[in-house]
Amino acid sequence: MRLGRVVKSFIGAAVLSMVAATGVKAQVQQELSSSSVIEEIKKRGVMRVGMSVFVPWAMRSKEGELVGFEIDVARKLAQDMEVDIEFVPTAWAGIIPALLAKKFDVIVAGMSITPQRNMTVNFTTPYAHSGQQMTANKELAGDFSLEDFNSSDVTITCRRGVAACDQVAGRLFPKATLRRFDDDAQAFQEVVNGSAHAVVSSAPKPRFWTMAHSDKLYMPTDENLSEGNEAIAVRKGDPDALNFFSNWIQEQKSNGWLQERHDYWFKTQDWAGGVAAEQ
Amino acid sequence: MTDRRPPPARKKARFKPFDFLMFGILIAGMIYIVYRVDQVLVYHWEWHTVFEYVVRRDETGALVPNVLLTGLMSTLRLAFWGTIAAAIIGLVTGLCRTSSNLFLRSVARLYVELIRNIPPLVFIFVFYFFISGQIMPVLGIDAFVRSASPESVAVVELLFSPIGLFSNFLAGVICLSLFEGAYISEIVRAGIQSIDKGQWEAARAIGLSRFNVLRDVILPQAIRKILPPLAGQFITLVKDSAIVSLISIQELTYVATEVAATTTRVFETWIVVGFLYFAVCYSLALLFGRLEKKMQTGRR
Repeated sequence: MRLGRVVKSFIGAAVLSMVAATGVKAQVQQELSSSSVIEEIKKRGVMRVGMSVFVPWAMRSKEGELVGFEIDVARKLAQDMEVDIEFVPTAWAGIIPALLAKKFDVIVAGMSITPQRNMTVNFTTPYAHSGQQMTANKELAGDFSLEDFNSSDVTITCRRGVAACDQVAGRLFPKATLRRFDDDAQAFQEVVNGSAHAVVSSAPKPRFWTMAHSDKLYMPTDENLSEGNEAIAVRKGDPDALNFFSNWIQEQKSNGWLQERHDYWFKTQDWAGGVAAEQ
Repeated sequence: MTDRRPPPARKKARFKPFDFLMFGILIAGMIYIVYRVDQVLVYHWEWHTVFEYVVRRDETGALVPNVLLTGLMSTLRLAFWGTIAAAIIGLVTGLCRTSSNLFLRSVARLYVELIRNIPPLVFIFVFYFFISGQIMPVLGIDAFVRSASPESVAVVELLFSPIGLFSNFLAGVICLSLFEGAYISEIVRAGIQSIDKGQWEAARAIGLSRFNVLRDVILPQAIRKILPPLAGQFITLVKDSAIVSLISIQELTYVATEVAATTTRVFETWIVVGFLYFAVCYSLALLFGRLEKKMQTGRR
C-alpha cells in the first residue's frame, strides 16, 4: 500500500516535470520581457534617470532646476513614453554601481561608450558625439606644439573617470603627469592658476573657459582630440530596453530633434544667462 | 546638605600688553596670507552668482531658498535623524559592552571594532550597494511611499526627503548612525566604566536591580561626564553627513559640487558652504555648552 503511494507520486512528479519543461521556453521569454526595465517604468509611471552635473549636459539653473542637453533628452524620452521623470543626481564615481544596484532605471549622463564600461553595462545607439578638447595655460605652455605636451615636465588635469582623462589625455600624452579631479571646475581652475599646464575635457567646456579667461588660457588646437560616442546606459540582460531606447534615439536623430537640441546647448550660449555660468 | 551657592568666581582674566602684541602678529600674518593668495591666485572673486544659489528672488520678487539652502535643510534632517538613531545605537551597544553577558559583549565589541577600523567611504559604499540594495526592495519602501496619499507625502517630504529619494535618505541615515554609533558606544562605555565600582556594589547591596542601578545611580552620573565628548561627536556627525553625498542624497556637500560645476565659481561655493557648516556646528556647540552648564548647576 505504502509502496504504491510512493510509486504513484513518482509518476505524478515525472508527468508534471514533462508538462513544465514544454512550458519553460515560453515562460522564459515571457519573464524576460516582463522583467524588462521598460515594463517596470510603465508600471511605476515614473522613469528614474541617473545623471551627474556636467556643463552643458546637465546643470543647475538659477532657479535650482536641472537644465541642459541631457535633461532635454531624458525629458523628451519620458514624455514619449508617457511617464513622469525623476532625476537622481549621483556622484560620477558611483553612477555605474548605482545603476547595477537598481537605484535608477537608466543612466543619461553624457557617458561615452568604452569597452571597460561596456563590460558591466549595455549601451544604446549613441545620441551624441562629443569631442574632447584641450586648453592650456599661456604662461606655462604658450609656445608648445601638441607634441610638447607629451613630456614628463608637463602636468595635465582632467576629471576622474571620464573619457577625457584616460582615453585621451593618457593616450595622447603618456609621458605627462595626469592629475585627476573629482569635478571639472577644479581641474580647470588648476590650469588658470598656473599649477598645471593644460586640461583635457569634453567640448564645449574648454572653449568656454578659454573665452572666459582669454588672458590666461589658449587652445593649442582647434580640432577635437578625439570623438566620443555618448549613449544611454542600461543594465545587462535587458534586450527590450536596449531595443526601445536605441530606436527612440534613431527616430530623434532622423527627425532632427537631437541635432537641434545639441546645437542649442553646444554651439550657442543663449542659455548661459539662466545658469549664472559666466563663461 | 544641598549647597546651591555657585563656586567662588575665578579671577577675571585680562589681556596684558604681551597678549595684544601676539594678537597683532597673528592678524598681520593673516592679512599677509590673504594678500599673497590674492597675488598668486589668478581669480576674479564673484560672490553674487553663488549667493543666488543660496537664496533667489522668484517671479514676484520674494526671496525663496535655492538649492544650497535646501541642501542645508537636507543636511540638517539627515543629522537630526542620524543623531537620534546613533544615540540609540550607541547607548544600547555601550551598555552591551559593560554587560556581564559574554555574548552581548562580544557582539558589541565586534560592531565597534569593525566600524572604527574601516574608512567611512568603504563602509558607505559596501552598505549602500550591497546591503541596502538588498533590503530596501524587499521592504518595498519605494513602492509604499509612492502609493502614499498627498498629505502623507507632504509630511514625509517635510520630515525626511523628496519622495523619490526617500529610500536613499533612509539608507543614508542608517549608514551615518551605524557609523557614528560605534564612536558613541565607546563614549558611553567609558562613561559607565568611569563610575566607581563601589557605587555598583553599594546600590546592589541595598537591593536595587541591575536596571535600577543603571537608571538611577550610574547613568545620571555618567551622562554628566560624557556630555562634552558626546557633544563633540554629534557635531562631528553633522560634518560627516557630507560623506553620504556619494549615494545620491541631495545634501549640502553634494549640491555644492553641482553648483561649483555649473557656475565654475569653485572657491566661492566652497567658502559659502564652509560658512554654512560652521554656522550650524558652532550653534550646536553653543547649545551643548549651555546644556553642560545647566547640568553642572543642577548638580546635587
